[in-house]
Amino acid sequence: MAWISRNWAMIGIIKGLIVTMKHIFQIGNRKTVTVQYPYERMKMAPRYRGRHAVDEDACIGCGICEVNCPISTIQIVKYDSRWFPEFNLGMCMFCGLCVDACPMNALKMTGDYELADYTRESLIYGPERILFKKEVSK
Amino acid sequence: MMTANAYELIISILKALNIFEPINNIFQKLGMEYVLKIIIVLVVIAILLVFVLLTVMFLTWLERKVFAVVQSRYGPMVTGPRGLLQPIADGIKLLGKEDIIPATADRWIFTLAPFIVFVSVFLVFIPLPFGKSLIISDLKVGLLYIIAISAVAPISILLAGWASNNKYSLLGAIRAVAQDISYTIPLALAAIAVVVFVGSLSMVDIVNYQGGYWFEIIPKWFIFLQPLGFILFLIAGIAEMGRIPFDFQESEQELVAGFFTEYSGMKFALFFLAEYAHLFAVSGIIVTVFLGGWNGPVLPFLPIQLTSLIYFLIKTYAVIFFTMWLRATVPRMRIDQLLNLGWKIMIPMALLNLLVAAFVMTAGVI
Repeated sequence: MAWISRNWAMIGIIKGLIVTMKHIFQIGNRKTVTVQYPYERMKMAPRYRGRHAVDEDACIGCGICEVNCPISTIQIVKYDSRWFPEFNLGMCMFCGLCVDACPMNALKMTGDYELADYTRESLIYGPERILFKKEVSK
Repeated sequence: MMTANAYELIISILKALNIFEPINNIFQKLGMEYVLKIIIVLVVIAILLVFVLLTVMFLTWLERKVFAVVQSRYGPMVTGPRGLLQPIADGIKLLGKEDIIPATADRWIFTLAPFIVFVSVFLVFIPLPFGKSLIISDLKVGLLYIIAISAVAPISILLAGWASNNKYSLLGAIRAVAQDISYTIPLALAAIAVVVFVGSLSMVDIVNYQGGYWFEIIPKWFIFLQPLGFILFLIAGIAEMGRIPFDFQESEQELVAGFFTEYSGMKFALFFLAEYAHLFAVSGIIVTVFLGGWNGPVLPFLPIQLTSLIYFLIKTYAVIFFTMWLRATVPRMRIDQLLNLGWKIMIPMALLNLLVAAFVMTAGVI
């Protein structure tokens, strides 16, 4: 009863209705924030930590990234008669310590975040999937 | 050319197309004129059913869109233009679901309840004028009939809750019945205050009474004559529909889904349809009784049946939008607040409204 006698004019409800009406007509900074994901994508931040990528020319296969990985997701494997890191992204926690430790600045993390897959084996990203060639500027 | 209801309207259209006489002659030769009458009545009912079902489908889409816009989202966007085909996708999904009947449920009542809910809601549309002569049957006791039919819904809700043999279902059903009983009284009292002025329970008479203008500018709608009555009728109507802030029958946070917790598949779809059909029906009644029904400025180049239908739909969708807007804004009340509001505020106010209406009518002020 006390609740009703305090609110007989329903001012709270009317104020709330005004707020939602502002949302309906998008008055003020009330734009729709939804991203229609498969049709449009958000722009990732430049330092976003997604899938790894290795510069094919710069990597010397030293294994420092392998040593620095806290949960041993990296293994150095032979590919095209050279040594490259191989990432088990099923285990990787994307901490970025391997990128910090690389002496040649060959390792970097891309903005690629669509890494879901059907088997555990396909989550192991070998050199054939992570190598890239830096375009040489003339 | 005046026609009283949709049956006569169809006959007059057939006569205008010069095909009524040959058809009628065929049936007369066979000595079965009544078959033609039955066919036309069935056609009228089929048109109403299809119209109501399409409206219900549109309303589910509209509700999701209004909610989404209030919450800075898009709502359904993928199926069809702006997600308009989403209700069809939902319907197909629900058709494909397994129809589960709990082992301890009362099978017959459990199966019967959703149909009773749907039929009781659908019957409300019979004396509801969608436009000039767009009415199934202009009952002399239209308003009484509507209030009486609305009183069937809580019985079916109680049946559903009881037959499910589930504590949440039963609690939701008991709450729904308590709420419906408390709010049917102010609803009826607010409607009686209108009937005092009109002097008839027929919905068409109520609409015709609101036809003119005061001072050439204010329409003679009952919302201007009885603002208190309108507010009481609106609140009681929202409570009858069982929508937020009065959705105690299915308060999700407390009782899983209220009385239809145990329902799945097509039976759940029937409850869902009934809920939105009820929303449309109550909005239509509010428009008919307080917002002038299908009255509006006359457009000379269109038939009156079409323009009146358009006015009715515009007003009805305004009321529906208001209830959706309210649902997106306010939280649910507590059950004690609901009953306090119903018995201690709404019924005395409704009686006061009735008293003032009767006094004004007897004094002959208007």
